[in-house]
Amino acid sequence: MPPKGKAANKPKANERECSPKQQPQQQQQQTSSSPAPAPTPTTIAERSALFTDESRPFESARRKSGIASLPRDAQAACIALRFARLPAPARNRLPPKSQRELWRHVNDASLPIRALKRNYDYGAAGGWSFERYADWAAKRTVLTCLEGASRVFREKRESEKRGGSDPVTGERVVLTQGEIDEERGRRREMAALRKELYGVVTGRLEADPEWDDVVPIPQEEPEGALATISYLGEYAEAISYLRAVMVKKEYSPRCLKLTETIIEMNPAHYTVWLYRAANIFAMKLSIPDEIQWLNEVSLEHLKNYQIWHHRHLLIDNYYPTIADDAEAVAAFGASERQFLQQILAEDTKNYHVWSYRSYLIEKFGLWDVPEELTSIETMIDEDVRNNSAWSHRFFLIFSNPANSTPGVAATEHDPAAPAAVVDREVEYAKEKIALAPQNQSPWNYLRGVLVKGGRKLGSVEDFVQGFITGLGSDGEDVKSSHALDLLAEIYAEKGDKKQAELCLRRLAEKWDRIRAGYWEWRKKCLETA
Amino acid sequence: MATTSVTVPDLFCADPAIRDALQTPTSVTQDETLNSMALNLNARAERLRYNAHGVPRLERKKHVAFLRKTMGPFPAQYVHGDASRPWYIYWSLAGLNFLGEDVSSYRQRVVETARVMQNDTGGFGGGGKQTSHLATTYAMVLSLALVGGEEAFEVVDRRAMWKWLCALKQPDGGFQVSVGGEEDVRGAYCASVIISLLNIPLDLTADSPAWTPDGSANLLSGLGEYVRRCQTYEGGISGQPNAEAHGAYAFCALGCLALLGDPRQVVPRYLDIPRLIAWLSSRQYAPEGGFSGRTNKLVDGCYSHWVGGCFPLIEACLGIDEDDNKGQSPPTQEREDGLNLPAAPETLFSREGLVRYILGCCQNPERGGLRDKPGKGPDPYHSCYVLAGLSSAQHQWQLASRWEDEKEPDSAETIDDPVWLVLPHLDGARVYEQEDLVRAIHPVYAIPQQHQQAIRSYFLAKEGF
Repeated sequence: MPPKGKAANKPKANERECSPKQQPQQQQQQTSSSPAPAPTPTTIAERSALFTDESRPFESARRKSGIASLPRDAQAACIALRFARLPAPARNRLPPKSQRELWRHVNDASLPIRALKRNYDYGAAGGWSFERYADWAAKRTVLTCLEGASRVFREKRESEKRGGSDPVTGERVVLTQGEIDEERGRRREMAALRKELYGVVTGRLEADPEWDDVVPIPQEEPEGALATISYLGEYAEAISYLRAVMVKKEYSPRCLKLTETIIEMNPAHYTVWLYRAANIFAMKLSIPDEIQWLNEVSLEHLKNYQIWHHRHLLIDNYYPTIADDAEAVAAFGASERQFLQQILAEDTKNYHVWSYRSYLIEKFGLWDVPEELTSIETMIDEDVRNNSAWSHRFFLIFSNPANSTPGVAATEHDPAAPAAVVDREVEYAKEKIALAPQNQSPWNYLRGVLVKGGRKLGSVEDFVQGFITGLGSDGEDVKSSHALDLLAEIYAEKGDKKQAELCLRRLAEKWDRIRAGYWEWRKKCLETA
Repeated sequence: MATTSVTVPDLFCADPAIRDALQTPTSVTQDETLNSMALNLNARAERLRYNAHGVPRLERKKHVAFLRKTMGPFPAQYVHGDASRPWYIYWSLAGLNFLGEDVSSYRQRVVETARVMQNDTGGFGGGGKQTSHLATTYAMVLSLALVGGEEAFEVVDRRAMWKWLCALKQPDGGFQVSVGGEEDVRGAYCASVIISLLNIPLDLTADSPAWTPDGSANLLSGLGEYVRRCQTYEGGISGQPNAEAHGAYAFCALGCLALLGDPRQVVPRYLDIPRLIAWLSSRQYAPEGGFSGRTNKLVDGCYSHWVGGCFPLIEACLGIDEDDNKGQSPPTQEREDGLNLPAAPETLFSREGLVRYILGCCQNPERGGLRDKPGKGPDPYHSCYVLAGLSSAQHQWQLASRWEDEKEPDSAETIDDPVWLVLPHLDGARVYEQEDLVRAIHPVYAIPQQHQQAIRSYFLAKEGF
């Protein structure tokens, strides 16, 4: 009997959904006791309220004045509905005869067995027009269909992975590229619909059938974790897939692409750089191609640290493959130099770039390539105060195996430094000092060269004296505190403590007062020398 | 707040005594920088409270408020910090601690955060499930030391840490910063600090790249030689051999060497001290008073620590001449290398200059926090290291001889602990207010000594892992 009751109600339900405009009429027929006809609904929420009233035909009257005040047929209907709406086990406690009567009554009076919930929350959609809602619902249907098709695809993929066969044809399941492309398009459509219908953003990877087999490992932060960052969806998703593939130690084109995506968003993520390098080496990808890619990234992120270590790793790996080919080494060295010059033109003192440059020279043995020295000279000509360029010059000349003994410290005399080279560098430094005598870079260089070459500091005394006039006298003039500093050392070297002390005193009193404590200590050094 | 009664010595506000006429990009940037800080140098910056010396008060409350917010949660644009999260924790906690705050209330949160960043294979990554890195491990271990307590110390998986350090140790003595990562002085320093604080055994595992069949190599062997190769012709230290001398690496090099034994012996054994001091001293500029990181580069508040923080260590190594200006230095320490260097004078650098730069140029008077220089925004990195620099300017450290009887019989394998003593620096004119003293910070570990001792003695007392 319950099926009958259901059947009796069903057409009504359909009818209501299809013809909302007839509702007020019906309502009038059914609830003769309701006073005024409700206004024609124009929104989803209004129509819903109407349906709810309709599913509870005697409720308003009963609530208002109690069941006793209702007409007799309405009272009977109320009681019948009360029992009909009981859960089956409770209802079955009625004697069978009463149950039969109940259903007969419900059927005859066409009573609505199911009542709608009051004040259903449609959210923003409550204010929508029927047309707009219908459009939304139609899209929802499309999404449901797509999801169904997508599930079929996933099942097929699973089956393919298991090596399963088609239950109809018995053939082994193989996904075609066409099917994969179709699924990719489908996912795009689904993502767009989800966004439109529910405002849910689907991750790029989640939407990509290529990543179906990876279960992402999302970031888990304990309660009260410190220094947490509210990542944007795309970054969070990419990182959670990164964790998953790193755990699997997967090295594949899709992983390489993933590292690129993350690097674009956060180039400071050292983990992803190391993993990228591992991918390149595992797949034996072309190093020059990677360097080409890296060049572009480097120009975008000038201050980044990881980029240069990545390059370092690439070169360590690449060099042995070309080491025997002098031409290839030279060509590669030249292209690297060209790129380094380009990047140093943008950021002339970039520490990581200079460090990499010295590494490259050593690795490739580019000590005697004339362009290297020329390009450094050009940089010094452009800014004689560029200490990075000076440092590189010192390295290029005095770490050259032809000019140096392994294990000799930078601040020590090296007998292997050729006299001609030392002479040349002393002259070079002097020439640059003359341009701007208070520039410390060439002074440090000059002193460094003299020590390296085992020369007496006094060998440049005349030059140094040229920047100092009338020391200790009324007409005292000093063009360079660094000259005065070196002069103090020259006097100390000669054993002339008095003059050395005078230099240091004048530095502390007048020419470089901020370093008074240091000059004081230097004076004490004269005693112990 | 223009004040009329203050006078700033011309050394700290006028042009330097010597200036070259030649203009190059470097000098143009330097001149622009000086112009942009002119108000600060002349004690005329807005919203700072100057004393009669033209030195502003330390805006302690504002800096505390700022640092309480730099431990997150951060909005999405902080994504670049995703691989440095332990650093944000260390900088903030350290800064708060230097300002006199008690940070032990953060213990539980540091512990929880550290747990998810620790890898089973040893060490801490920059965030959850990231590759372990020496820098982030250093920051995390120091953070645990700062919040203190057994629960915090016990977070560290020391056995895994030891194995991981062995994997990073290179045959040339240095350390890679992560497996397959770069090798530099920073890594050498961070590893030494970690080994010391956690009392990690020095033996190498057989799969360490530095392992030798004769068993002679250990975690610290060759480290001094590695650091030595990083000293440049200028006297400063480069990040790796053959690069330019840079302030941050000077601190790392000294800190690393200071943990290899008695710093008075070890530091001069591996470095040319007179050249290093010359270079360090050249980093302080007038009129700014602050330090630059390299020759011909601009001053930056963070070098108050990286360069400024070298002086307490150097002064402690040289010994400080108590009876100054007599020209007769007491025979300070026995120098096994036959080095004959005099004790340091009352100070080797201009403490006044550094204090003026820090309080006058590095404070953000609006929202608190400290910075590189006027015109730059405050951040936890600069806040931490500027305050550490202030501490170096305000204190003086000395090394005392070890009490032999306290040396444990089986501590031969661990690092010998020299005894560090600290006093507020009292000599000369003090230009800042007594209330603006910050805590004394250990010259090697960059945290107060009590925190360093608490964690180290905890692990020294522990049997096995």
